[in-house]
Amino acid sequence: MTEESGRGRLASRLFPDGEEPDPRFTLANERTFLAWIRTSLAFLAGGIALEAFAVPIFDELWRRVFAVVLIGVGGLISLGAASRWIRVERSMRRRRALPVPLIVPLLSFSCGAAMVVVVLAILL
Amino acid sequence: MTARPRARGGPARTAAGLGRRPGKEPGRPQHRDPGLQPERTVLSWGRTLLLFATVSAVFLRWLPHYGGWMVVLAFLAASTAAGIYLSQRHRYGRQSRGVSAGVLEPDAVAVLATTAATCVLGGLGVWVVLG
Repeated sequence: MTEESGRGRLASRLFPDGEEPDPRFTLANERTFLAWIRTSLAFLAGGIALEAFAVPIFDELWRRVFAVVLIGVGGLISLGAASRWIRVERSMRRRRALPVPLIVPLLSFSCGAAMVVVVLAILL
Repeated sequence: MTARPRARGGPARTAAGLGRRPGKEPGRPQHRDPGLQPERTVLSWGRTLLLFATVSAVFLRWLPHYGGWMVVLAFLAASTAAGIYLSQRHRYGRQSRGVSAGVLEPDAVAVLATTAATCVLGGLGVWVVLG
């Protein structure tokens, strides 16, 4: 680790320009990334558990479809979290406004769709 | 930070006996941030490692349904948790020094490695569900 004597290779490639932001903002950005990763892991574990657990509620095809969709949403959220972490860090270095989080509508839509599916599964 | 570690009061104990690396004085704060940013960030990593461990247990729970591939998934999730756990002390020191110095390089390796682990788990998960 060369954090004090110079900048690491990966960080220099990802963040080539701008000025060093306040370290507290960098840490806040890291914590936000971690919160998204935990959300993503919940979707991932949910998808695995759904396929194995929800045996009597859905028939086999739909169970698999929902499980794959849940895991896919988890993957998208984790990719979105990393991309947002990079873009926020770049914006802070360039003293620009922070980017709009595109994963927030993804998360809202996924949760809403999951609710609808569960309600329909109970009613039908 | 250059002085040899000394025990606070009481009988003198060696740094090795306390599991501390030399160069860090016990009892002396490593940073002076009243917002405790390094603590909060290390705790956030701690929550993440707990969730990786939990996900690993969930994978093992469904081993009878999916079969042997779940062992690979559980091992991957547990390894990620272990990797975070083993780097926590180094992370806290690095972040404390960064906050004290006013310059902290973003930890791209940890962020990208965690993302990669999550995506590989997701890819294997889809494969296991479909297979």
